[in-house]
This record gives sequence, C-alpha cells and structure tokens, in this order.
Amino acid sequence: MHETAIVQGLIRILEQQAAQHEVSAICKVNVKVGRLRAVEPRQLIACFEIYAEGTVAQGAELAIVALPVRACCKACLCEFEVPRFHFECPGCGGGDVDVIQGQELYIESFEVVGG
Amino acid sequence: MCKDCGCSITGAHRYVPHHEHRQTIEVLEDLLHENDRQADHNRAHFDAHGVLAINIMSAPGSGKTSLLEATIRALPNGVRMAVIEGDLETENDANRIRRHGVPAVQITTGMACHLDAHMVHEALHQLPLEGIDILFIENVGNLVCPANFDVGQHLDVILLSVTEGDDKPAKYPVMVRAADQMLITKMDLLPYIEEFSTSRARDEAKAIQADLPVIELSAKTGDGIAAWISWLLLNVSSRREIQDLTA
Ligand SMILES: Nc1nc2c(ncn2[C@@H]2O[C@H](COP(=O)(O)OP(=O)(O)OP(=O)(O)O)[C@@H](O)[C@H]2O)c(=O)[nH]1
Ligand SMILES: [Mg+2]
Ligand SMILES: [Zn+2]
Ligand SMILES: [Zn+2]
Repeated sequence: MHETAIVQGLIRILEQQAAQHEVSAICKVNVKVGRLRAVEPRQLIACFEIYAEGTVAQGAELAIVALPVRACCKACLCEFEVPRFHFECPGCGGGDVDVIQGQELYIESFEVVGG
Repeated sequence: MCKDCGCSITGAHRYVPHHEHRQTIEVLEDLLHENDRQADHNRAHFDAHGVLAINIMSAPGSGKTSLLEATIRALPNGVRMAVIEGDLETENDANRIRRHGVPAVQITTGMACHLDAHMVHEALHQLPLEGIDILFIENVGNLVCPANFDVGQHLDVILLSVTEGDDKPAKYPVMVRAADQMLITKMDLLPYIEEFSTSRARDEAKAIQADLPVIELSAKTGDGIAAWISWLLLNVSSRREIQDLTA
C-alpha cells in the first residue's frame, strides 16, 4: 500500500506544524491530489484514519481535492483538460504536450478550533 | 455581539457548533517531500560517479530479471553494470544476477509494494559505484505504486509482456506516462497468443505519451535485444555528455 507511505508523510508534516504553531488538535486537513499520482482518495482517507490515531490529527477530517489532468500543447499552445489519459490536443491533434496539472500531491492547509 | 463573526449570539458560545471558530493554517508541502529529497541525494551519488540509473518497472513476472540477464550477455565489453533488486521477499533475483558475475544488492521490502528512495540509498552504498556505468533498479512487480516514488533514477523503463494483454497501457496510464522507454517482452510467445496485437498496445501507449519509444523483444531468443542495447548505450553517452557539461 503506497497510501501508507503517503499518509505517514502527511502525519509527519502535521505533527511538525502543530508543534511549531502550538496546536494541540487538528480538525480538518486539506490535501490536493492530481490524477496522475495513482492515489485513490478513499484509500488515502481510510489509511489516514488509522494512522492519525494517537496523533495531533486524531479524528480530523481529511478533505481531498482531486485535480484533473491538464496539459498544454507544445505546437499550438492550446491548454486543455486531458480526458481519460488521452494526451491529444483538441486544437491541432498533436500529442507533444506538457502536463501543467495532475502531478500534485501536497497538503494545502489544516484547520484548528480556536478563538 | 461575537467579535469574531459578528453574530448576535453571546453567552452560550461554546455550545453552538458554528461557533467553533476555525482557524486555517496554510502549509503547502509535498507529502512525499522526504522521499523526493532522498531521491535527489541518490541522484547526486550516481552523478558523482558517472552512473546512469535506470528504474525497471512492470507487473509481476513480465520478465524484468530475464531482461537484465539477457542484457548482461549482450552488453559490450567495457560497459559495466550492477543491479539493485526489489522484491517483497527472497534473494532469488539478486542471485540470478550474481551468477553472471555482476554485482547485485537485494532489497526485500516486506509489505511495501514499491521501492522508495531510502531503501535504494542503503543499497547503493553496498555497490562499488566507481566501477559502474549502468545501475539497473528492478522495482517490485507492480504497475501502480512504483511510479509515485522517485528513487533517484535518470530513466524509467516499463515492460509489458505479450501474455498480459494489449490493453494494459490504457489500464495503467500513470506508469506509461512516466516511462522513457516501453518494452514489449516475451515476443517469442506472440504466435501462441493471437489476442495480443502489438500495434494495439503501441497505439494505446501512444495515446498516453505520443513520443514514447517502444521496442519489441524476447529475452529468451535474444530478438530485439540489440535495439535495447543501442538505446542503453545512447543514454550512457548522453549521460556522460551532460556530466561533462556540468562538471
Ligand atoms: N517465453 C519467454 N519467457 C520469458 C521471457 N522472459 C521471461 N520469461 C519467463 O517469465 C517468467 C518470469 O520472468 P522473470 O524474469 O522472473 O520476471 P520478473 O518481471 O523479473 O518477475 P518478478 O521480479 O517476480 O516480478 C519466468 O518463468 C521466465 O522464464 C521471454 O522472453 N520469453
Ligand atoms: Mg524479477
Ligand atoms: Zn503502493
Ligand atoms: Zn495543439
């Protein structure tokens, strides 16, 4: 399960950040995952629930925003969303494209109860 | 009035759910940051010794180790290789390589379905990098997970054997997209598997990555191995050029 390794990375970041901001409990974690990362959101959430136990993120909601794959055609500079991994430019039919979205795998923010 | 949100509820504050004033703390950090950092470190090791590192990925049993054995036989004298083998269990694959007198380190990952940069780092320190031109990293047989973990390689190679079906590129697009070279292996079996169309497999791969080079080969008969060796040698020399430019 590579989700395990990813979640362990996430928990490590949260523990570090919580210490730095003197936070004792996290209620929500916002993560962005590109479709090119072969990460299944439901598995990530199930894994997170297990690994968060006993940490500052215990019981926190993991909110995952899945980002579709987007590409830019090198020939005609057309930007488009890539349907089902078909990297073909709808403008000129070319296949030589740069991926501009879809490789993301990062934590954006986390939320704590305060004030 | 509540000073945080301006609502008129006072007093019973903490019992009103919407009054859990949430504070958002921005982070923006890659979840695989530690792995990626380690991978860069591995790459620095390879570059310092002029080693071309190639990550070999496929489904279980597509012929990765057999390809490496055929490569040992076909590589010209003077081009030296070594292998890091990743498997869930057993030393079998490393032993197969060592039998040919080629240095090999076995990593057994236990539960992990992929190699990560830390495992490869431990293994690379057991190899005589100064005397190596190409280091092959045979990843765990798995078409999904390995693509997510940079191990410090310069190039990614994906194997698809004719026994797996020609629809596999479309089913595992992430790995096809990440590949620098695709190999269709066990071509000697093609006459027995009429369902497999190499042109269909090529077309599907092309839809995912238009300029992905594809070589059809058989580790058993040696057909197509020459084209694979040419691709390797080309990359060894362009690696050296990059190396000389940055030195
Ligand atoms: N006919 C034929 N069989 C092959 C060829 N290459 C590999 N095989 C057979 O396929 C089986 C698996 O080959 P391996 O080289 O062990 O495959 P692998 O990808 O290293 O397997 P794992 O490391 O376990 O994922 C073995 O029985 C090989 O003999 C080939 O070119 N032709
Ligand atoms: Mg093997
Ligand atoms: Zn995995
Ligand atoms: Zn275009």
